[in-house]
Order: sequence, then structure tokens, then C-alpha cells
Amino acid sequence: MNNIPIEYYLILSALMFAVGITGVLIRRNAIVVFMSIELMLNSANLSLVTFSSYLGNSIGQIFVFFVMTVAAAEAAVGLAIIIAIFRNKLNVNIDEINIFKW
Amino acid sequence: MDVSNIIESLKLIKPEIAVSASLILVLIFDLIFHKDKKLIPYVALLGLFATGYFVIHQFGTTGFGFATKSTFKAFGMVTVDSFGTFFKLLILISAVLVLFFSSFSDEIKKTTDRLGEYYVLIFGMILGMFLMVSATDFLLIYLSMELLSLSSYVLAGFTKLRDRNSEASLKYVIYGSVSSGLMLFGISIIYGLTGSTNLYVINSLIQSPQINVLALSFALILVMAGMGFKISAAPFHFWTPDVYEGSPITITAFLSVASKAAGFGLLIRFIKTGFAAMTLNNGYWMLNPIFDWKLIIVILAILTMTLGNFSALWQNNLKRMLAYSSIAHAGYLLLGLAVFSNQGIAAILIYFFVYMLMNLGAFLIVMLIADKLGSEDVDDYDGLGYTSPFLGISLAVFLVSLTGLPPTAGFIGKLYIFSALIDAKMFVVAVIGVLNSVVSLYYYIRVLKHMYLVKPKIQPVEIIPGLSQKFLVLLLVVPVLFFGIYFSPIVELAKNCVVLLGF
Amino acid sequence: MNAELILFIVFALLALFASVMMVTRKNPVLSAVFLILNFFALAGLYLLLNAQFIAVVQIIVYAGAIMVLFLFVLMLLNQRSEEKILNGKKNLKIFAIIVSALVVFQLAYIIFYSKPSAGLAPELQKSVQAGTVEQIGHQLYTNYVLPFEAAGFLLLAATVGALILAKKKFE
Repeated sequence: MNNIPIEYYLILSALMFAVGITGVLIRRNAIVVFMSIELMLNSANLSLVTFSSYLGNSIGQIFVFFVMTVAAAEAAVGLAIIIAIFRNKLNVNIDEINIFKW
Repeated sequence: MDVSNIIESLKLIKPEIAVSASLILVLIFDLIFHKDKKLIPYVALLGLFATGYFVIHQFGTTGFGFATKSTFKAFGMVTVDSFGTFFKLLILISAVLVLFFSSFSDEIKKTTDRLGEYYVLIFGMILGMFLMVSATDFLLIYLSMELLSLSSYVLAGFTKLRDRNSEASLKYVIYGSVSSGLMLFGISIIYGLTGSTNLYVINSLIQSPQINVLALSFALILVMAGMGFKISAAPFHFWTPDVYEGSPITITAFLSVASKAAGFGLLIRFIKTGFAAMTLNNGYWMLNPIFDWKLIIVILAILTMTLGNFSALWQNNLKRMLAYSSIAHAGYLLLGLAVFSNQGIAAILIYFFVYMLMNLGAFLIVMLIADKLGSEDVDDYDGLGYTSPFLGISLAVFLVSLTGLPPTAGFIGKLYIFSALIDAKMFVVAVIGVLNSVVSLYYYIRVLKHMYLVKPKIQPVEIIPGLSQKFLVLLLVVPVLFFGIYFSPIVELAKNCVVLLGF
Repeated sequence: MNAELILFIVFALLALFASVMMVTRKNPVLSAVFLILNFFALAGLYLLLNAQFIAVVQIIVYAGAIMVLFLFVLMLLNQRSEEKILNGKKNLKIFAIIVSALVVFQLAYIIFYSKPSAGLAPELQKSVQAGTVEQIGHQLYTNYVLPFEAAGFLLLAATVGALILAKKKFE
């Protein structure tokens, strides 16, 4: 490995991060918004693993392990909330859920 | 790190162990006695008192727990010092009060089938907050913030009685996940620059001139997004009004005090441990000039105060009004931080203690009235001051204290913050803060106007609180008045708790 | 062009393509499938970076568990495709484009004009060791035992929470 400059990995991670942010901002379906958040977490994971590998210490990879735990927990709670809302309204579009101003 | 080291470290986190044990105890108790839920609040209360014993015992103890071998000195995952212990005490007191609130709340009474889980999740929040205020490693900071967030996402949507409840939860979870994602990206950049996640190690490494300032600043702004979300500082406050309005009122009260306290504890520790070179003799911190913290915090503080106060002016729902007011209070607290001195930190600690009493008190009265009235709108409060004099006068005391007028404790809190600012020669900022307090007077007094001066269209309901409810209200009213006159005990306690370990 | 660089380009393009497709698909099920593709591509990149453990966990946990959960909920709710994929608010769209462009430019500027890799000489031996299951497991149970326990409580809280939120009526 490591014939590849570290910049390539970081640029890929930055691009994925930007795509994730765009997804969060423009999509209306709450489930897709959650998927975009997963994409953001994954881009952070990629840069953590990259740094870990190039620095030769394992803290970054341990961090990624914990991030995956958190992502799983967050997805479970988020989807449970979506199911609870769907029971009441039969809709998960965040535009149409507007008792409050969004 | 060998086993003996871990066992040594365990002695430093006794309060956290007590909280986790109580969490599991409540969970098991709920499973065994699932027919009879009356006992669960008492088990939870017992757990909190046991935790309180360990927290009080921890005052004066200092040490680094769970030190990693890879760090060159024995700096650990957690740092135990009086500063953190003060915040733990604050969190614990508000948790006990919120537990009492929950036993009166009609909203919670309707959900007896899930009561055990309610207390389990409250303990989850407390555990997250305890770890947050003592964490000195990004890994633990991230995990404890997520533990707090996940428990509060669920509690925000706990009752599921009304649509607005689940929606509050959804908004909370989306905003929360996005901000923690931003923070994670920032952490990954900092890790890449320094090769470590420990704040003490990062502190010593970023003093070298080779560090990439641009990347570091970008990363710090991202990290601030995560922490700003927790304290609901201005550009990251969008979730606050909706979540506070939609959540059960006990949880709103807990979020507005304890969660904010934990966020501030974390933010102060992060800035000081990560960037202070040393504390000067006059109490001012020498911060690493690599990142202009002062500018950032002052801008955040002014933005937060102004937005919070001016948005509160137009609110009719009292819960929403208190949400904006809590944003404004976060702004005042940030002013205390912007001084970057031990004096400023002492002011923050005093202010937080006072804020806990008065804010929880205000939410308690709103809850008691909402349970009878079925409404939190200020228009429905017309004439209530005459039919329910006890609640009316108590709410008046809390609101006057939130404004910061003497002779209430709120005045003492503001006084210390502004005198810290004036000592640091930040006159312009102090003036903006005072002007903001004047603006806040308008919307607090508006509630009193409705209660006492507006002629009611219909005959207002008479609300007579029960004996235990009266006692609980008095438990909050009396200190607010008492500490407004005799405040030296809190000031002494706060001044003893300003020193963070390591500097 | 060596084999490694070719592999990197393949995986990177795949990941990027999948993520863009995920955000732009009308049907949420298709979005989920593209996200899984993205996760597999990332697992490949992790292998290139000598992070064997993370690569395996990425497949098992992300692609295997989390995405199955997403797909399960999507099927359960039986979502029809959206007529408009984009949020109705025009200002928000412009805002989103500005924000993401800003992020990309800023990061690119940081990465290219400030040599982050200075002093980061790749050390094959060290980085191979850092990513093994043995090394990570050892670290988790010694130096990182407190976060490990905290993560346990996090999962417990999430389990309890998801249960009470999704359940209709408690007995």
C-alpha cells in the first residue's frame, strides 16, 4: 500500500461528506435523510481509517469501531421514531410534518 | 495498562458506577415487578441518593483515570476534579427535582405502562452527562454525548400522546445526528493533525509551529457545531424551541438545565484542557494563540443572547417562551466563558446554580397550571393570579429572578457575570448583555401582566396545589429568594471549584 | 500505474458514484441499495489501507445489520416513490448547493495547499500491525475499557428506547 498519496483518500472523504450534507438538506423523505447522515458518518470513518493507517497507530480504527456502534444505535432509535410518526400520520415526508415551523 | 491500573481508575469513577448500577437496578426491578409500578420512582430516587453520596465524597478528589500507555504522560480518558464534581452535583440535584416533578405530572401519569423505561432513560441521560463533564478524550466525549443524545431523543417523544410529541423527537434526532456527524468529521481532522485523541496530548502537540492552522481552525469550527448543539448556542439552536415545546414538560425542564450544564462543562473543559498553556496568577488563562477563541465565543454569545431574547418576545406558548429564554441564558453563560479567567468560570458556576433553581421552578409552575388548564398559552393565564395566588406569586418570583432583578438570586448570577466582564475590560460586551436583560424584562413581565392585570373573558379556574406540590414549589421559591440576599455560600463553593486539573 | 492505484480508483469511483446515486434516486429502496454499494466500496478501501478488522466489521455491521434495518423499515412502511425528489423550498436548494460547494472547496484547499502528509511517511510495518483484530481487541479491553463500557450502556439505552417508541401498546 501507500503508493497512493494520502490526499486522494482525503479528497474522496471530503466529497462524500459534501454529498451527505447535500442529501440531508435537500431530501424530503426522513428515511433518506437518515441514510444521508449515515453517509456523513462513513466519510468521517474513511478519513479516520486513512489517518490511522498513515500514522501507524490504531486509535483511529478503534474510533471507527465505536462510531459504528453509535451509528447502529442512532439508526435504531431514528427508525423507531419514524415508525411512531407513521402510525399517526401515514407519512414520513419532513415537509408535511409541520405542526411546528420546520 | 494493567489490571491494577484499571482498578485504581475505578475508584475515581464511583459516581458513574453508582449511576450505571441504578440504571440496571431500575431495569431489573421493572421486569420483576411489572404489575406494580408504584415502587419504581422510589428505587430511582434511592439510586440518585446513593450517587449523591459518592458525588459529595468526590469533592476534593483529583486524578486522571484510565490513562493509556500510548500517551507519554499519565493523562487519561477521564479527569476528576472539583470543577467536574460541581457540575455532577448540579446535574444530580436537577435530576432529583425532575423525579419529583414526574410524580406530579399528568403527562407522565398517563404512561404508567412505560414508567420503568422512563426512569431507565433518565439514568442513561445522567450517565452520559457525568461522563461528558469529566471526559478528556475525544473518544469518550463523542460516546458520552451520544449516550445523552440518544436517551433524550427517546424521552422527547416518550408520551406519543400528541403529534407534536413524536415530531419533537424526529426533529431532535435529525438535528442531533447531523451535528454529531459534523463534530465527528472535525475530530477526524484533529486526529489526523496530531495523531491522538487525548486533549492533553493535543494541547502539547498543537503548540508546535508545524501545525496546519487552517485545517485546525476548520476542524474546531466543526467540533463547536457539536458542542453548540448541546448548549443550544445561536447558529445551532434551531431545534430548541420545537423540541422544548413538544417534549413532556418534565423532560423539557431536565434538558434545559442538566443537558445544558453538561454541555457547558464539556465546552469549558475542552477549551481549557486543549488550548490553555497555563493559568496566570491573576486568574486569566493563557490560551494558545493558534485559534481566536475569544472572538468566536463573544460572537456566539452575542448572537445567542440577542436571537433568544428577540424571538421570545413574540411567543404565546409559555413553554416555547421559556425555550427561547433558555437560549438567551446560554448566551449570558457564554459571556462568562468569553472572559477566559477563573473569575469568569466562578461566575458561570454561580449562574448555573441559580439558573437551575429558577428555571426548574418556572417549568414546575407551568406544568402544574397546564395539568389543570390543559393549555400553556399565555392568553389562558388571564386573571389566574387572583384565583390561584400561591402559584401566581411563585411564578412571579421565578420570572423576576430569570430577568435578573434584585432581591432574587437571578440578580446575583448576572452581577457576577457582568462584573467578570468589566474586570476584563470588555465594556461593550457587558453593555450589550445588560441591554439584552432589559429586552428580556418585557416578555417575562408580559406573563405577569396577563396573570394580574388583564381582565379575564371567562371566569378563571381556581388551581389549588396539593400539600406535597406546595412543598416542592416552596423548596424552589425559598432558595431563589434566600440566595438573593445571602449568597456567600454558593460563591465560596463556586470559587473552590474553578481549577481544572492539569493547569 | 500499479495494481493498487487501479484498485483505489475503481473503489473510489464506485463509492462516489453510489453516494451520488443514493441522494438522487426517487425510490428510497433504490437509495438504500446504492448506500449498501457505497459501504462495500468503502470496505474495499479499508482493505487497501490495511484495516482488515474495520473492513470486515463494515460489511457485517453496516451493510449487514444497519442497512437491513433500513430496508426492513422501508418495506414495512411501503413508501411510494416521491414525485419530486427535491425539497420544495427553492432557497433551501440554493443553500444546500452553496454549503456543499463551500465544504468541498475548503477541504480541497486545506488538503492541497497545506501538505498534511508532511512528516507522514507511510510505514508499512506499523500500519499493518495497527489494523489487526489482535491489536484492536487488545486495545479495546485495556486502554479503551471505559469507552467500551460506555458503548455498552449506549446500546442498552438505544434498545430500551427503540422498544418503547415502536411498540404500539405495552402489556
